[in-house]
Amino acid sequence: MSSSAPSVAEPISISRIGGRYLIFDIDVVTHLRRAHRICGTPVGTLPRAPQQNVFSGLPMELMPEEACLLVETGVAYIMDDLTWHKENFPVAGHRRSEYLEEVHLIGLRASRAQENALQSRKQTALAKQAAAGARAASLKHIDTADADDEDTISMFHTDRSSSRASSTPTSGSAWAVTPTISYSTSPSQHDSKSQADVSVPSSYPLFVYLHMKGYYMWPGLRFGCDYNVYPGDPMRFHAHFDAVSFDWEEEIDMMHLVGGGRLGTRVKKAFLIGGKDEDKLEEENPVRTFSIEWGGM
Amino acid sequence: MKFDTHSLPPASAIQDVLDATKSTLKDSPHEPHFLHLAEIVKHNLQFQHDWTSVRIHTHSSSQLSLPRPIVSGLPPRRAYIHPEEQVEILKAEHETGKPVEQVPEQEWVLPTHWDEKWTLNRFAEMFDAIEVVPGAETSQEEDDEEEDISIGYKWRGKNRQKRVLLSTVHDDSTVVYYIMHDGLAKPRQN
Repeated sequence: MSSSAPSVAEPISISRIGGRYLIFDIDVVTHLRRAHRICGTPVGTLPRAPQQNVFSGLPMELMPEEACLLVETGVAYIMDDLTWHKENFPVAGHRRSEYLEEVHLIGLRASRAQENALQSRKQTALAKQAAAGARAASLKHIDTADADDEDTISMFHTDRSSSRASSTPTSGSAWAVTPTISYSTSPSQHDSKSQADVSVPSSYPLFVYLHMKGYYMWPGLRFGCDYNVYPGDPMRFHAHFDAVSFDWEEEIDMMHLVGGGRLGTRVKKAFLIGGKDEDKLEEENPVRTFSIEWGGM
Repeated sequence: MKFDTHSLPPASAIQDVLDATKSTLKDSPHEPHFLHLAEIVKHNLQFQHDWTSVRIHTHSSSQLSLPRPIVSGLPPRRAYIHPEEQVEILKAEHETGKPVEQVPEQEWVLPTHWDEKWTLNRFAEMFDAIEVVPGAETSQEEDDEEEDISIGYKWRGKNRQKRVLLSTVHDDSTVVYYIMHDGLAKPRQN
C-alpha cells in the first residue's frame, strides 16, 4: 500500500491564509497522515455536493499546534499566501501569458487523459465482444471461423483509427482548469526562511507530548476537551483520552475533574489532564499527565 | 413526641468520629479541616463501601509529612482491573473454563472537598510522596519470599501504575470516587 503512495518531498509548504493553516494537495494530506500522524480537518465544500456540510474535502485545515509541530520537526514550513501572491503571482505582461499557457496545458493534458481512458475502456469492451463473437462462430461453423475473425478485426481497426483521429488534441478540446495551488509544494523552489512562527495555545506542550508518544489528536469539541487522543488512526480506533491541558499552577475545579471523569468513562475513555511540568524544565518537553476514570462506587 | 429544646440533639456518628480526633489535632502537621476530611472519607469507606483496614496516613514512608493526610484501605472487591489484565484473565478463563479469582488490593484514597482548587503541581507532589502500594514498606519482605507470577501479575502489586482513588466530599455528605493514574493509563472498556 505504501508503495503505491505518491512520494512527497519534504519540507512541504503549509499555506497560511487569514490566520488559518491549509493544505491543498491531496498527496500531502495523505502523506502527513501516514508518515506523521497529523490528521487535520477537511474544510472544503465538495464540488459535487455543494449543498451539504457534513462531508468536506480539500483544503485540509491544520490546528496551529499541528502546523507548529510540523515546522519544528522540519517537515514543513509556513508559506504566507498573501505575501507570496503579491510578490510572485503573474498578474500582467509576458509572465501572465506564460502562466495562462501553462494552465491551458494542464487542461489539455487532463482532457487527453480522459480521452485515453475512454478509449482504452472501449477497446477492452470491443476485444471482449470480438472474443465472444469468435467463440460463438466457432461453435456454429468451425470451418468459417477464420473468415469471421478477420471481419471482426477489420471492424475493430476502422473503429480504432477513427477514434484516434478524434483524440488528437486540438486547442479547442482543452478543459477549463482552475488550479488549486499557485505554487508547487516542492521544497526546492522556496526559501525555507519564509517560515514564520505559529502562535499556539498554551496546550501545545501536551499536544507535542502525546504526539511523540505515538497518539493521533483530533480537536476536542466532541467531548468538550482540548484534544481527543487516539491510539491509532482515528478512522480505525476509538479515542483513549479526552485531554485537557492546564498550566502547572493553574487552578483546577474539582467539579471539572468529576464532570470530565464521568463523561470520559461514559464514552469508554479516560479524562486526561496534563501540562508542562515547571519543576523539570531541564528535560526536553517535560509534561506531567494524570488519567481519570470513574471509580465505580 | 416532645423535644427538649434546652439541650443539643444527640451527635451523629460522623460527629462522634470527628470529636474523637480532637486530642490528636494539636500534634498533627496538618490543618484540622484536612484531618476531618480524611475522617469523613474513612468513615464513608468503612460504613458505606465495606472497606477494611482503613488507615489515615499523615507521613510518607520516608517519615516526611505528606501534603495532606491520605487514606488507605482494602476494598471488598478489586477497585481497578487494568484492561490488559482483563484480557489476560478472559483468555485464561476461556482456556481453563474456570473463573480466575480476583483478590482485592490495597488502595490509596485522596480526600478532597468539592469546593477546593487543585493544580497539576499539587497532584504531582501528592503522587511523588506516596508508594505504589499502601503499606508496601512493611510487607516488602513477604513479597520477596514469594514472587507472584499468577495471571495478570504485571498489572498488580508493585508492578502496577501508581494510582489513587480521588474522593471528593460534598457538604451534603455525598462522596464520589474517581480512579486517578499517574501518567497515561489506557481506559477500561466497561
